[in-house]
Amino acid sequence: MSKIKKRAHAGTLESSDAFIEIEPIEEDKIKIELQSSVEEMYGDDIRELIKKVINELDISHISVKVQDKGALDYVIKARLQAAILRANDDEKIKWDKL
Amino acid sequence: MDSSISFSEFDCLNNRRVKRVEKFLNDIGLDFPSSIENFVIAKDGDELIACGGLDGKVLKGIAVAPHRRGEGLILSIMTRLINIAYSKGIKDLFIFSTPNNTDLFEDCGFKLIENCDNEIILMENSNNLENYKKILLSKRKDGNTIGSIVMNANPFTLGHQYLVEQAAERSDWLHLFVVKEDLSEFKFKDRIDLIKKGVSHISNVTVHEGSDYIISNATFPTYFIKDKGKINELHAKLDLRIFRDHLAPALGITHRFVGTEPYCVVTNNYNKNMKKVLEEPNGASNPIEMVEIQRVEKDGKAISASRVREFLKVKNFNELEKIVPSSTLEFLKNI
Repeated sequence: MSKIKKRAHAGTLESSDAFIEIEPIEEDKIKIELQSSVEEMYGDDIRELIKKVINELDISHISVKVQDKGALDYVIKARLQAAILRANDDEKIKWDKL
Repeated sequence: MDSSISFSEFDCLNNRRVKRVEKFLNDIGLDFPSSIENFVIAKDGDELIACGGLDGKVLKGIAVAPHRRGEGLILSIMTRLINIAYSKGIKDLFIFSTPNNTDLFEDCGFKLIENCDNEIILMENSNNLENYKKILLSKRKDGNTIGSIVMNANPFTLGHQYLVEQAAERSDWLHLFVVKEDLSEFKFKDRIDLIKKGVSHISNVTVHEGSDYIISNATFPTYFIKDKGKINELHAKLDLRIFRDHLAPALGITHRFVGTEPYCVVTNNYNKNMKKVLEEPNGASNPIEMVEIQRVEKDGKAISASRVREFLKVKNFNELEKIVPSSTLEFLKNI
């Protein structure tokens, strides 16, 4: 398990996209704050997806704030991965893990 | 979205484009806010259709032309403004707006802090207020009369010291907040340090670092503009409502003490507003009693920090000695 180094963000607030902000936190957990225009139908799915992406990258101690404007799941995944890579200033990106 | 829409970003030095934004806002009946550093605009062909600006931590002048509303332009403008702020290292942002725009900015990740009499709202994009309230809650003290003072102390004088002594005497416990913004002649670190030294003989006082929520450039920008009377009454009211509705309940504050203000128009107006905002029932929180304490005089003139700054300019330490505590005097001699 690794921590992210700093706060970072990715995405936009526009329709069919998501604006994702992440930051390191003290507690050993994945804290998710989701605001979605499709909360009623897909809120739980989006939360599951976020946890899955973070677990796959073996990350903990992270807070994720998502403004979702009806983004498709691969958009959310890509935005979250981008934010995590930015938070770690990753130069050697493990593409096979993404 | 129409492909002919283009966005651009520029700063306040680009006079020609800033003028266009000013005209755009005036044409739709909005004031052009002063002191914006960065602008974002949307154009359709050559027509300006939306704009927004950033001033420190505060997003300002966000508007969409009436005939182009409902297209989501505001979301694009906000994304760009947030990106500009983040790239400057500014993470915690504020928006002043009117209550009818609450939903719009909630969709951009902002939370309502205060709705002041349905006239003005303040929103923020972080949880900082909740976190700050938790910190205050842990510093709560028991008692029937819990006093409070908010001071800039630029720098700490015998007048400030007298106010703190009087307030502490009338309170079971006294919470003293120091304005945190570094927009005054003396740095926050020095101001709070001199306050702590100057009240060290008082046993029932806690000195708190201020925050964005007490007379800060984010929530109360006009406090720091010295042009007389230019204070924005709505901002003053908002500042006091945040104090009453959020900060005071966390600490159980029942009283707020201020010194009478003979010279500074800004502070004087603020004090006038204060009584009304703190004491009248508002349906949201308990009233706080405001107590004005007569200023101490020296040689027929009230002691004020501005007098200290005047004497300091001409290095008149004999006069300074009469109006500041020894700890402040020592500091001033070593500048």
